[in-house]
Amino acid sequence: MVRLAGLSKRFGRTTALDDVSLTIEPGEVFGYLGPNGAGKTTTIRLLMGMLRPTSGTASVLGLDTWRQSRDVHRLVGYVPGEPALYDRLTGHQHVAYCSHLRHRDDGRRAAEVADRLELDLGRAARTLSRGNRQKLAVVLAVMSRPRLLVLDEPTSGIDPLVQQVFHSILREHTTDGGSALFSSHVLGEVERVADRIGVVRAGKLVAVERLQDLAARSLHRVRAHFAEDVSAAEFAVVPGVRDVLVDGRMLSCNAPQSALDALLKRVSAREVEDFECSEAPLEETFLSYYGMGNTGNAARHPAAAGAEARHAG
Amino acid sequence: MLASVLLKTLRDQARQLLAWALSLVLIVAMYAAVWPSVQSQPSISGFIEQMPEAFRSLFATSSADMSTPTGYIQVELLSFMGPIAVLIYAVSAGAGAIGGEEDRHTMDLLLSNPVGRGRVVVDKFLAMVAGTFVLAAVMGVSLVLEGSLVDLVLPADMVAAAMLHLALLGVVFGSLALALSAGTGRTGISRGVPAVLAVLAYIVNALAPLVEVFDRIQKVSPFFQYIAHDPLRNGTAWDSVLVSAATIAVLVALAVAGFRRRDVAG
Repeated sequence: MVRLAGLSKRFGRTTALDDVSLTIEPGEVFGYLGPNGAGKTTTIRLLMGMLRPTSGTASVLGLDTWRQSRDVHRLVGYVPGEPALYDRLTGHQHVAYCSHLRHRDDGRRAAEVADRLELDLGRAARTLSRGNRQKLAVVLAVMSRPRLLVLDEPTSGIDPLVQQVFHSILREHTTDGGSALFSSHVLGEVERVADRIGVVRAGKLVAVERLQDLAARSLHRVRAHFAEDVSAAEFAVVPGVRDVLVDGRMLSCNAPQSALDALLKRVSAREVEDFECSEAPLEETFLSYYGMGNTGNAARHPAAAGAEARHAG
Repeated sequence: MLASVLLKTLRDQARQLLAWALSLVLIVAMYAAVWPSVQSQPSISGFIEQMPEAFRSLFATSSADMSTPTGYIQVELLSFMGPIAVLIYAVSAGAGAIGGEEDRHTMDLLLSNPVGRGRVVVDKFLAMVAGTFVLAAVMGVSLVLEGSLVDLVLPADMVAAAMLHLALLGVVFGSLALALSAGTGRTGISRGVPAVLAVLAYIVNALAPLVEVFDRIQKVSPFFQYIAHDPLRNGTAWDSVLVSAATIAVLVALAVAGFRRRDVAG
């Protein structure tokens, strides 16, 4: 459905996106994750034909997103990261305008989706809260029953109950064979709907993984309290153990299931006063593997972050 | 009014256009109101003749005779106030056309629909043309109607010709603003450059009889196409219309090409 091949984008001397290749299959939801400024919005706006690739290509169902953008837009519904609407137009008028531009009559479908999201289409866009603007953007994106949904942080600002409605709309879309690219800066937002996730950092795609595989490698949070001082080194050597932190007689670390046995043997070699082991949320597993700390990355790659800040939104 | 980019743009401009139209009606009414006292004071013509030549060229076109309705309107309205009003509207409409939607971040929404970028530029251009012609028409109708109330009698066909040339002047600079807006996405530059060029073009045309360099490039000035042949007295000059139309066509083509090849600001 979607194919990015060696896609790169430079703004002046800063590289916002560097040689990204990925494919999205029909019926698949692809979670596109990365800290703010990593290149998510740049990728999405390249895919929407708003930006011209510096090199590489992006295509939707074989159509080039830059040279055949009009044909691509017939197949795609888009929720921009900063949902910009016409302040003086109401929801109904937005629906009417976009319907005319698409030469379709999607009024009924729009009303139905708005109803499910509990959005009042009669109000002018400038009077809508951030969450309601987001909902209107979602209505406009899905009303034409597109083959592909391109969603730039679509659920930010939407409360959890409405997020669930949005997720079910997304599932209906994929059941009908549609695909989606769903960007977010937190895993929690996409883990319930994404089939695969891609992690982008400083303009590079650093990992693509099935969500199931990630779950299989899910980490356990281990804490132990010893009767004597211990050193971090004796636990860090166990293969697979991550994030080892020792504070005097306190140990805390993360370990995949496969490392638990070896770790436990090391721990029990000492005199233990207290022990705790629990499965970490997927979010933590993810953070541990891909270190998505926003500040850390922004500080390490100020140029890339700045480039997107200027061109994002 | 939401059936196309053209109609949507006109709808967005409706209030602004109404305000401009009203101002024009009032400006013309003001000139009409002053007319009886000007007419009864033939010395005003003498006053103009006594002005330094450079001054006279700048503020009064050619051999204007303030004691005739045609001369009076020529000096008072067509040399200065009329072009300023039409140019301000056309240039701001052209500059806001593409860059304005980018500034308000609505271009992503518009372009995510299956609408070509060329289509967007052309529709925005047509909206600017429509608005400019509406304003020129309002000015022309006000001139004829309000003038007839105070014995400021102007031949309607000559007024129509003058307004056609005035509208074309507006559209030329409006198209330049549109081309800059489409090519750069920057509203400030797209407004400022045509404004400065309009002032220069005005000066070149006005001072051509006095400054030799200006005389040589006078014909390039859109103000030459607009007023040099004295449309209020001589009617439409089709060669000038053609030159203006060709200029506009080139600028619109540049606008389409410029917008097609650049990144859209989100």
